[in-house]
Amino acid sequence: MDPQQPEPVSYLCGDCGAENTLKPGDVIQCRECGYRILYKKRTRRIVQYEAR
Amino acid sequence: MERAAGGVSYQRFPRVRIRELKDDYAKFELRDTDASMANALRRVMIAEVPTVAIDLVEIEVNSSVLNDEFIAHRLGLIPLTSAAAMAMRFSRDCDACDGDGSCEYCSVEFHLAARATDSDQTLEVTSNDLRSTDPKVCPVDQARAYQHALGGTEPFDTAAAADQRGILIVKLRRGQELRLRAIARKGIGKDHAKWSPAATVTFMYEPEIRINEELMETLTLEEKRNLVESSPTKVFNIDPNTQQLYQVVVEDAEAYTYDDEVIKKADAMGKPGLIEINAKEDSFIFTVETTGAITAYELIMNAITVLRQKLDAVRLQDDDADLGELGAHLVGG
Repeated sequence: MDPQQPEPVSYLCGDCGAENTLKPGDVIQCRECGYRILYKKRTRRIVQYEAR
Repeated sequence: MERAAGGVSYQRFPRVRIRELKDDYAKFELRDTDASMANALRRVMIAEVPTVAIDLVEIEVNSSVLNDEFIAHRLGLIPLTSAAAMAMRFSRDCDACDGDGSCEYCSVEFHLAARATDSDQTLEVTSNDLRSTDPKVCPVDQARAYQHALGGTEPFDTAAAADQRGILIVKLRRGQELRLRAIARKGIGKDHAKWSPAATVTFMYEPEIRINEELMETLTLEEKRNLVESSPTKVFNIDPNTQQLYQVVVEDAEAYTYDDEVIKKADAMGKPGLIEINAKEDSFIFTVETTGAITAYELIMNAITVLRQKLDAVRLQDDDADLGELGAHLVGG
């Protein structure tokens, strides 16, 4: 991946649930309601665990 | 091997008598051997008889309330039918594969896909939702339900069979989904308890109870009743057949828990030596229960096979000369 072009990551607002796309350096704030707690989404990749 | 010190052989010939044998339960007597052998057998049954259990979980989607690790752990604990486990390979010494699960010698793949549709009902994801790629290896409840459907004899407890809902893994609310791939591998209880085929393995020394009849005759009926009642388990009784004599008899020697209560009672009554109880040091009564992964019969037989393999390993080591300190004891002892 190109380090100059970091992929924007989408987050969910903790208050209104709207989807926000953030890049490094962006202010962490919901664009819809201004709430400052955002949640990262689960990876789309398969994750592996030891059943122990 | 003619090695025993002074040419004395300590070989013994143990006897086994099976009292009760069900699919997941066994009770048997082991005689003419010592505690070390009985305990070795018990420990091998618990920790060294191999079974198959889910060991690796690849989660594609999990929007349930339980986190991935939690679900993976729950999957690991589900007992799988393991009759083929003895013939399987441990994945660490399987050279036919790279441990990715698609190897017929050392692993079995499972798939699970469940999604709660838009009804208001909670969906219960159970072991019955696991789809195996090998019909020999599947969750024990599934195997049981299958046998039941075939109309075959019901080997397990009928009360448990009536409740064929499987083992609950997670509950899903409307819209939630769980999708995963799991790999089951052969293993032993020593590595992780999920591989232990044993639910219970216990043994007790057979008690030998002697009643001093002469001294017993000196007791009144009331005293006899008190003596019988003093045991917390029903070991003694007053013989209803001996009319007017009211003899104290041993009703169930094996109910004795080595609690010494009757002996203390006899002492307190001023009759020491009235009852003498000794543990027979060469007779053991085993109780074995399995998780259903293998039958009780398979558990016992496989344990003996594993124990023999371990003894063979010791013997081969001995042939290679270096026994270290143990060798010095064998020769010098």
